[in-house]
Amino acid sequence: MNKISIIIKREYLTRIKKKSFLVMTFLGPILIASLWIIPFFLALNSETQSKVLVVDETIFEKGESKSSLYLNNFKNTEDLRFEYGYDINEAQIKLENGEYDAVLEIVNTNDMPPIKGFLFYSDNEPSLSAQQNIRNQLTEVLKNYVLTYDYGMNAKDLAWFNDPKIGFYSKDIRSGENSYKEIKTVLGTISGFLIYMFIFIFGAQVMKSVSEEKTNRIVEVLISSIKPIQLLMGKIIALALVGLTQFVLWVCLSGLLITGLQTIYPQKFSPVQKENITLNERVISVDKLDNFSNETEKVSQITQGLFSINYVLIIGMFLFYFMAGYFLYASLFGAVGALMDVDTDAQQFTLPITIPLILAMVCFPIILNNPSGNVAFWMSIIPLTAPMVMMMRIPFGVPIWEIALSMSLMIIFIAGAIWFAAKIYRTGILMYGKNITYKEIWKWFKYNN
Amino acid sequence: MAIFSAKNVSKTYAHHKALDSVSIDVERGSVFGLLGPNGAGKTTLIRIINQITAPDEGEILFNGEKLNLSHVHNIGYLPEERGLYKKMKVGEQAIYLAELKGIKKAEAKKRLEYWFEKFDILSWWDRKVEELSKGMQQKVQFITTVLHEPELLIFDEPFSGFDPVNTNLLKAEILELKSKGATIIFSTHNMESVEEICDSIALLNRSKKILDGKVTEIKQRFKQNEFEIVIPKDYNIKDLLIEGSELINSEVYYQTQVSRLKIEHGKNADLLSNILKQTDIISYKEVLPSMNQIFIQTVSNE
Repeated sequence: MNKISIIIKREYLTRIKKKSFLVMTFLGPILIASLWIIPFFLALNSETQSKVLVVDETIFEKGESKSSLYLNNFKNTEDLRFEYGYDINEAQIKLENGEYDAVLEIVNTNDMPPIKGFLFYSDNEPSLSAQQNIRNQLTEVLKNYVLTYDYGMNAKDLAWFNDPKIGFYSKDIRSGENSYKEIKTVLGTISGFLIYMFIFIFGAQVMKSVSEEKTNRIVEVLISSIKPIQLLMGKIIALALVGLTQFVLWVCLSGLLITGLQTIYPQKFSPVQKENITLNERVISVDKLDNFSNETEKVSQITQGLFSINYVLIIGMFLFYFMAGYFLYASLFGAVGALMDVDTDAQQFTLPITIPLILAMVCFPIILNNPSGNVAFWMSIIPLTAPMVMMMRIPFGVPIWEIALSMSLMIIFIAGAIWFAAKIYRTGILMYGKNITYKEIWKWFKYNN
Repeated sequence: MAIFSAKNVSKTYAHHKALDSVSIDVERGSVFGLLGPNGAGKTTLIRIINQITAPDEGEILFNGEKLNLSHVHNIGYLPEERGLYKKMKVGEQAIYLAELKGIKKAEAKKRLEYWFEKFDILSWWDRKVEELSKGMQQKVQFITTVLHEPELLIFDEPFSGFDPVNTNLLKAEILELKSKGATIIFSTHNMESVEEICDSIALLNRSKKILDGKVTEIKQRFKQNEFEIVIPKDYNIKDLLIEGSELINSEVYYQTQVSRLKIEHGKNADLLSNILKQTDIISYKEVLPSMNQIFIQTVSNE
């Protein structure tokens, strides 16, 4: 054990001190920050006009005729055109048909004034300017109502008018649950892609490091002091730590960079942050709505809906598949590294390893399109593609038994891969100037130690 | 007492038998030569001693105990194919290799300074290995092999790639290590160095041991009863021979005639007295076969 730690220390420090590590550490956050900021600029300037159907359920008796507070009171803008309806089921069909881009449902909560229970249904997240616009118009209508009917306002109500909080949720109009399809897609893609990148970059480094020791001829000296499996595992663990270090540095530096940008250009980024960026913000806005008056069922459902994405599960699963995928592939890459030599071409052996990795990437759209379909199911069970594919599926919800099956298979496969890699590794590293074939590798299994 | 012994060790790779029931004993404090043509199984045996690979059959004893991982610290190994991390600094690398042999960092540093000074390479401590000449790298490798003061040292073809100056330096170091009590196994093709530094040898050929023993004994065993005699050139050796002796070759050097004779056992005295009756004998000595001759003769007789 002590010797493994000596190996880990050397491998880790050598890599941390490399220039490329430094470059990647500083380039990464810039890339992340730009990925973070660009969408906001795009969201600020949505170009096409969206058709919004306002479904008003707050029709109330006013004298002898029925009236609505909101009917015909929204002004069309460059971005938004408002039309009106009364039946939410009808609106659902129209939204599905594509007649409208979004539905604004004003739920009858029997409150006076009716200033809570606004639901915004749309397949896509409404642009920021659209959100702001709708907010302003709702506030305007309510102000007029209050002024006209001399509704007795208390301090809380006034506070609301000064800083109106209206939640926007991309809801599945059919189930009534918050689907957050976009957020889920983004979460799934990012985590799947991160795992893919990590496996590829650091797996390839394990391979390179093994083959370097072999072509350097230092490996024979090393394995006269330690067992080959210790050397290989030390290397794999060290590179995992390097990866994690880089990852943590990225997160910290990106955070710093984004905070820095917000401080320097508050007018550009602050409203974005205030009203949209995080889900937490949205929870707060709903909470404020709740405080405004008595709880109603519908609003509390929205709050629950926000937690329909299980972040603890996602982070836990991400860490598991991140590490599991890396250990699986790193051992295989290590074995291939042991087959490489200056004189011989071992590129052929990297192919069987990279194919499943690339396949998982190629299937990203299929899986995101139907996260519980057959392709997604099988690819998230088969250990070679599971780390990437399961992470894409998890934000959409995966049955526990599938996760359990996938994780168990993963662990069994890792043990198998390490055993397999160790066998190839200890024979391969001492094999020079020989063209190694698959048949030859098979023979090595019969070797005794 | 033997520091190391292998008993009936066999090792088979797929379809190729690398070692076939080989037994050797290495005496403590001796220099043991492991000889044999390419592919005879020397490297396999060395790797078994280093526990890089395990034998299929047979028993390996180190200091009377069954060979196990704790012995790694008592063995130093300089493989034939040797190398260092090219991008790593010399000093750092030497400390790393020492740590793997179970030496604490501070102690390793102390010992390294002694050796670096001895080999006059202290100024290279912070240089990267790739900046070093091949000879320098070999010195570093030698140091890392002996630094943990192992009881048993294994050198696989230590002189290959060394220039004559470094070869001599290395020979001197090997003999010094021996005088300090270390046991050395070394595998080589270089028969001259075998004569110079080996106490005993084992000769492997086609995975079998075909000859072993002390170098002096083996030479006696293979001697052909050949002698070299030098007499003044005025006399012809042919005229002085008696029955039971025959001339192999003869040459005139300045004032002398140098001849090689084959003399039957027990005829020496008769021959010498016969010669002395007529002329002086300037020198007379037995000619033992060189290890090179024995090697070639034994291997080609197989």
